[in-house]
Amino acid sequence: MTSSLQHAFRPRSSTAPAVVANQLIKHFGDLEVLKGVSLDVPEGTVTSIIGASGSGKSTLLRCMNLLERPDQGELAIADEAIRFDRNPQGDIIGLDRRQLQRLRAKVTMVFQQFNLWPHLTVLGNVIEAPMRVKKLSRKRATALGEHYLERVGMADRRDAYPAFLSGGQQQRVAIARALAMEPRLLLFDEPTSALDPERVNEVLGVIRGLADEGRTMLLVTHEMHFAREVSDQLVYLDQGNIACSGTPEEVFADPRCRQFMAPAA
Amino acid sequence: MTSMTPEGLIDWAGPILSGALTTVQIAVLAYAIGLLLGLLGAGAKLSPWAPLRGLATAYSTLIRAVPELLLILLLYYAGAQALDALLAYLGMAGAVQITGFATAVGVLAFVQGAYMTEVFRGAILAIPSGQLEAADAFGFSRWDRFHRIVLPGMLPNALPGMSNLWLILIKDTALISVIGFNELFFTIQQAAASSRAYFLFYAAAGVIYLLMTLSSTALFARLERYVRRGQPTEA
Ligand SMILES: Nc1ncnc2c1ncn2[C@@H]1O[C@H](COP(=O)(O)OP(=O)(O)OP(=O)(O)O)[C@@H](O)[C@H]1O
Ligand SMILES: [Mg+2]
Repeated sequence: MTSSLQHAFRPRSSTAPAVVANQLIKHFGDLEVLKGVSLDVPEGTVTSIIGASGSGKSTLLRCMNLLERPDQGELAIADEAIRFDRNPQGDIIGLDRRQLQRLRAKVTMVFQQFNLWPHLTVLGNVIEAPMRVKKLSRKRATALGEHYLERVGMADRRDAYPAFLSGGQQQRVAIARALAMEPRLLLFDEPTSALDPERVNEVLGVIRGLADEGRTMLLVTHEMHFAREVSDQLVYLDQGNIACSGTPEEVFADPRCRQFMAPAA
Repeated sequence: MTSMTPEGLIDWAGPILSGALTTVQIAVLAYAIGLLLGLLGAGAKLSPWAPLRGLATAYSTLIRAVPELLLILLLYYAGAQALDALLAYLGMAGAVQITGFATAVGVLAFVQGAYMTEVFRGAILAIPSGQLEAADAFGFSRWDRFHRIVLPGMLPNALPGMSNLWLILIKDTALISVIGFNELFFTIQQAAASSRAYFLFYAAAGVIYLLMTLSSTALFARLERYVRRGQPTEA
């Protein structure tokens, strides 16, 4: 799908990685949830994070837009390079609020529970962040919002409120909301786990379309077949470490990796 | 006010209406300020900074724990004295009418704010955390997050309590009469006493209060329909 809008997404051109995470460490209290995770997501590619419940998948994903702040390590995301460390008082340092907001405008997220704003219409949900955060005029934001609602097949429900939509429809609106920021990186945390089985495919279909379009995406999912099909890179997380990673072909050919995949695949 | 011939309501219609107007003015202003105090109080109570939390807790707990009539008397005399002193200091002594109105508003607002703090705190806590997280994830500023997501998100939860507090406030304005300020209830008392038509005037007062509360209840019902526009009506 090509876009007619001037500010629409630029398909893959550079070979620079969109995301480099280096030796990320994250604790919750005494629990070390990420134990030095390093990850490259090249521009225009899809990486899926898989792993058992509690292995730190969501935490890793949430570090990418700093909903969780790593205790240590480095992140380079879309021209922002951040190094996390502790000062002598033990506070985590390495980030100011401006930088945080700039980064979050470039890395947007689709949540398991959709998290749409119930008091805003479908279109209202999609144009809110472009207007508030990117300071676009309502007119420009609306043009952008309509474009992406069209893209996810929800343009005809633009004036509906989220509570009147099915889960699959809500998730597609949430994807349009994330796209309307024209991010450099899209994050998905189990985007189909809260859906009725018959609604899963409509959402996976949209995500597959985005992958074909060359969007840079980082995806946490339990849908192994889907991950295998759409991903350029699979990352298997085991108790806060990357136990295995590579192209789907590599991962499924490697006997050591396959042992992890076996229960899921 | 000198005694009048018991010609009844007609003679007193003017003063009573003006008293009613004063009551509405006091109530509206006190409510607006109370809303603001309540938002600040709720914000402080939910703040990560302990001294601020403590201050807000002390405010809402103490005010709600003392009878309102007593509070009004205490705050009125303390407040009036402070204001008088201030005006005297500024060389504007004698503006007692202004002090009376301002203290009445201030006292009622201060009490409202304490109750409003609790209403708002509960309403904010009831917002599903995912909605706030989404605002954070998209890089909203604190102000945008507050007025675009938190405020409209909590209103459906807060409005029933807010409407309740408004009704209580209208009725609380009558307490102001104990300190002799010329609002509706005070005027009615004077009319009743001077004409000796007690039942007539108190009944008239009842009707006026009823009109005020009923019309505002209708207004709140409309407001509630509006803030719940995104929610399917529960049958
Ligand atoms: N905010 C938090 N405070 C404390 N502990 C947390 C917090 N978030 C996550 N954890 C813990 O960190 C570990 C990793 O959690 P995480 O959500 O990243 O796992 P996950 O791989 O996404 O699991 P799932 O497949 O169940 O979603 C878990 O043990 C979890 O209980
Ligand atoms: Mg998770």
